[in-house]
Amino acid sequence: MSTYDLEEQEQLAALRAWWKQYSGIVTVVLIGILLTLSAWQGWNWYQRNQAGQAASIYEQLQKAVRVNDIKASRDATGSILEQYPRTIYAPLAALLSAKIHYQAGDLKTARVQLQWAVDHAPSIQFKSIARLRLANVLVDDQAPEEAAKLLEEKAIDEYEALFSIARGDILLSQKKLQEARTAYKSALNSPAKLDSSMRELVQLKLDALGES
Amino acid sequence: MFDWVHNHKRWMQLLLGLVALPFAFFGVESYQAAANLGVGVASVGDQKITEQEFAENLRQQQERLRRMLGGNFSQAMLDSPEMRSEMLEGMISQRLLTQYAVSSKLSVSDEQLRDVVASIPAFQVDGKFSKTQYESALRAEGYSPTVFENSIRRDLMMQQLSAALSESGTASKSVAQYIAEYRLQQREVAEYALNMKQFMAQIKPTAEAVQAYYGANSAQFQLPEQVRIEYVVLNGDALLAAEPVQADEIKKIYQDNLAKYGEAEQRQASHILIAYKQGASDGDKAKAREKANLLAEQVKKTPAIFTELAKKNSDDPGSASKGGDLGYFSRGMMVKAFEETAFGMKSGEIAGPIESDFGLHIIRLTGIKPGKVKSFDQVRPEIEAELKKQKSGRRFSEAAEAFSNMVYEQSDSLKPAAERFKLTIQQSGWATRASAPVVVLNNPKLLAALFSDDVIKNHRNTEAVEIAPGTLVSARALEHKAASQRPLDEVRAEVLKRLVDKEATMLARKQGAEKLAELNKGDATGISFGGAKMVSRDSTAGLRPEAAGRVFRADVTKLPAYVGVDLPDGYAIYRISKVVAGKAVDEAMQKNMQSELARLNGTQEFKAFLASLRAGAKIQINKDLLQKKQ
Repeated sequence: MSTYDLEEQEQLAALRAWWKQYSGIVTVVLIGILLTLSAWQGWNWYQRNQAGQAASIYEQLQKAVRVNDIKASRDATGSILEQYPRTIYAPLAALLSAKIHYQAGDLKTARVQLQWAVDHAPSIQFKSIARLRLANVLVDDQAPEEAAKLLEEKAIDEYEALFSIARGDILLSQKKLQEARTAYKSALNSPAKLDSSMRELVQLKLDALGES
Repeated sequence: MFDWVHNHKRWMQLLLGLVALPFAFFGVESYQAAANLGVGVASVGDQKITEQEFAENLRQQQERLRRMLGGNFSQAMLDSPEMRSEMLEGMISQRLLTQYAVSSKLSVSDEQLRDVVASIPAFQVDGKFSKTQYESALRAEGYSPTVFENSIRRDLMMQQLSAALSESGTASKSVAQYIAEYRLQQREVAEYALNMKQFMAQIKPTAEAVQAYYGANSAQFQLPEQVRIEYVVLNGDALLAAEPVQADEIKKIYQDNLAKYGEAEQRQASHILIAYKQGASDGDKAKAREKANLLAEQVKKTPAIFTELAKKNSDDPGSASKGGDLGYFSRGMMVKAFEETAFGMKSGEIAGPIESDFGLHIIRLTGIKPGKVKSFDQVRPEIEAELKKQKSGRRFSEAAEAFSNMVYEQSDSLKPAAERFKLTIQQSGWATRASAPVVVLNNPKLLAALFSDDVIKNHRNTEAVEIAPGTLVSARALEHKAASQRPLDEVRAEVLKRLVDKEATMLARKQGAEKLAELNKGDATGISFGGAKMVSRDSTAGLRPEAAGRVFRADVTKLPAYVGVDLPDGYAIYRISKVVAGKAVDEAMQKNMQSELARLNGTQEFKAFLASLRAGAKIQINKDLLQKKQ
């Protein structure tokens, strides 16, 4: 292998020249790419780690909910919302905990937790669900105007029927019967699919209002 | 070039370190992004639902259905295009949920995973998780533990998400209260009916009107397609008739099974038991024997005191109180040693002590019922029936396949099959697609076969159809009548009646509507309502169902309220004169209603969540693969 033929030698020389000229920039770009990749992976790892820790508190919350331990569920939810507010577990905890507080008649805490979910939930789907639930609590807490405001803007398509029903419920509590009727009817006519049991329930509410 | 590497050693080390970094965190496997090769039934985002996955799911679903329906299923119920689409939708939803759960970093801890795996009965031995059982069960299904555990992890994530959303639904108390009250509410209702019969006399249709009605409704005056049939029925009974059970067969069975047809000998005995205590030593046993010997001596000398001694001394609490009496027993009911002695004694004799596992028995035999054998004539019908059942079942299963082949292969006549199996060819009257005049022919599958082109046009036999377990029928058409229009003259009376009914009903409704308008204006005359009664949604007190719905949908802000309802035989007006709150809604009922509504809301909100994920995802369905049969 002592002699290269001429052509090969030329190529090799060209390659050397190229490397001499661009070695710096190639290395920098390569390092840049790798750094970005590492940072991204590190960020993922961090998130996963956070989620894992939130998950173990969430598990305690689930247990507390199962035995209807209101205080323990409030504490667990509190630590998730404080320490891991950006994990998926935060809105889930808020929803779950709000439900049992509401059931137990603690409307104030339920309102706070649902409001947190409305403000901080990571996706429009979660926010919509939180809105619907908060509206229910507000109706029972004699604050129908606030509830109505919460549902004022149009929902994303899949939630529109549910928003209409909730609007109807608010109007019903305000004794605005004609408007409630319109809201329920628009829920039934909405293209979003409702289960038959839900449709029956809305129809029942309409029946109770009376035909007109 | 290598010089450069050498000169920049530091740089290169850093570079290599960075390359290694990501692997240090996650291992190599996450780089091999789930390689979904091949075509899928559907793709959800960047994942595919493969044909194998779909087929496996379909198989499991069918298995579930089959178990649920027992024998009552048709192939169409197990595998229809709708069912396939619906199942695929379910699988897509699962994928979407899993993807969402993964991307939002839902996590399942190792403990949770372990708990779930350990709770699966298939991995347990005697109610406890066994690692060996776990591994061998997985191997049998062709899974590696890693793959299986990952799939469980995914399922758990999905469940976490769906449970968190659907089980945390809320419903407001005031709505629950409102609905509960409405359901208990009672309304006082009176009826004013306008029956179409009252109006029939006023309707005098012209000949043209009759003609027009006949023309417009010609489909109602058609004779359906009909066919007259000859058929053969193959079942065990028919086969047996051709070759009855012989008397000597019955006799043989009787003789071979004499023991079965007799009644065994029974004996009655009393005993005194001197029991061994648990873990008795030899010394204890000797003491017991001494006591037993003493007692035995006493009762043998004076049998009259047996009862009394048994009451005092026997360690068998069940019999001691009855003076040791054990009642009648036959062989096989007592411990061996006891049985042998008891069946070797004469009546009134006292024996023992003899030893059994329980201890020492002193036995007095008090009665003997000798065994009896039933005579041949007594048991003959029983044997004959049993034999017939066995034979007919066997003959049928032997003959079924040959019969099916024969009616199929020699499809221009039923004779060969009838002769071969000594069956009678029977004939029936006219059958339609919906029903046949003979019970055995009234089977949807057979009727469908009868009206197929093969039978009607090509004059072939139907296939052998199993109309009931153990009964096959094959039939062929003797005569066929196509569907035909009945001429007006033949059906004039019928047409006239229907026309009059229709017009009278319309007239009743028209008048009813006018009266309703008068009532609402408040200037009605000559309307007399029937007796008023109280009705609620759940107990409508004989109100017609068409009416009940309307009565409870009525606006009752002003009373009396009137509702007009079209009925099949006319019209009725209902006057609602009172609305009364039902019995008070108690706390428990309202709570129940509220949690029921909350559940409904939660479920629906979760479905909306799914629908919204679906709307935002890129989903493609391969329709050909979806409907492809395996």
